[in-house]
Amino acid sequence: MSNLRLINETTASSVSSVSITDVFSSDYDIYKIEVVGQGAGSTNWSRLEFLNTSGSTISTSNYDFAQHEIKTYGSFSENRTTNNSQFLYLWIDNDSAGGFGNTMYVFNPMSSAYTFILGQSAGEFSTSGNVNTKYIGALTETTQAQGFTFVRATGTYNNITVRTYGLRVDS
Amino acid sequence: MSLVQVATNTVTSAVSSVTLTGIDSDDVYMVAFNNVVGATNNVGLQIQLTKSGTAQSDSEYDYAYKNLRTDTTFSNTSGTNQTAISLGNTGTATSESSQGIIYLYNFNSSSEYSFFTNETCHFNATPFLTGAQGGIVHTVASASDGVNFKMSSGNIDSGTFTLYKVV
Repeated sequence: MSNLRLINETTASSVSSVSITDVFSSDYDIYKIEVVGQGAGSTNWSRLEFLNTSGSTISTSNYDFAQHEIKTYGSFSENRTTNNSQFLYLWIDNDSAGGFGNTMYVFNPMSSAYTFILGQSAGEFSTSGNVNTKYIGALTETTQAQGFTFVRATGTYNNITVRTYGLRVDS
Repeated sequence: MSLVQVATNTVTSAVSSVTLTGIDSDDVYMVAFNNVVGATNNVGLQIQLTKSGTAQSDSEYDYAYKNLRTDTTFSNTSGTNQTAISLGNTGTATSESSQGIIYLYNFNSSSEYSFFTNETCHFNATPFLTGAQGGIVHTVASASDGVNFKMSSGNIDSGTFTLYKVV
């Protein structure tokens, strides 16, 4: 049996955000999250915020984030934010002709330590071209996170599929 | 993708190093680690490979990273002929720790170099969030069977390290 365990698969359409609840538990310390989809309307970034054990958004200003943009036009660039209320720049997607893919790992969401993320994405910025990202983040508080929400900055996703896996450690 | 656990070690009291072995096929392998804290403040978590279970400290490691950080502009780091490779510094204050995902390639080959790709993030002693994205090569064409983690100074106080085969 694989030690990469599928915990949840959620597909939604015509939504501005998608919340995945009750996926983090004491069974795993590390999670892999795969996201594929397609946006609608103007080009926009997607964001991430965690949900506490009651299912409410952890909206404190404790999200630190660093992201490297690797793209087909212009110079590569970077985004850095501290003390924000979300991780802001996970992936970018175009209108319905575009699409995106994102793979990230989440560390320690249910422990008494900070929750960390790292990941990468591929997407499209309007007519300019392909934008890929590499990123890291930390929720610098010890609130337990039991789930998460992906939020499109504005507009909606035509469709989005989120798969959450746990990395099982057998002692 | 499927992962098969090969070895794991959860550190709950101080140890000088952690060795994970069991690489015995041409598959890709992956190491995941989290909540790694050293006994000494502001030192680097280092990685080496093992041959027949022994960590290799020869000057045969080359690496190149993009360093992501929240305090200032990102930087590039590279080096050749190193004896071990730092994955990033961490501190000892509450919640300062290291986590990462490392893929291992060609380790079982007796005729090719051993390669790593690494993605890590750390809350360091300053403190701020930092991490490295890049790769490492050990420029010796002989079979390797695992990896070894240690701090650049002092012990590892805590952390979980797991080696998986990617199948």
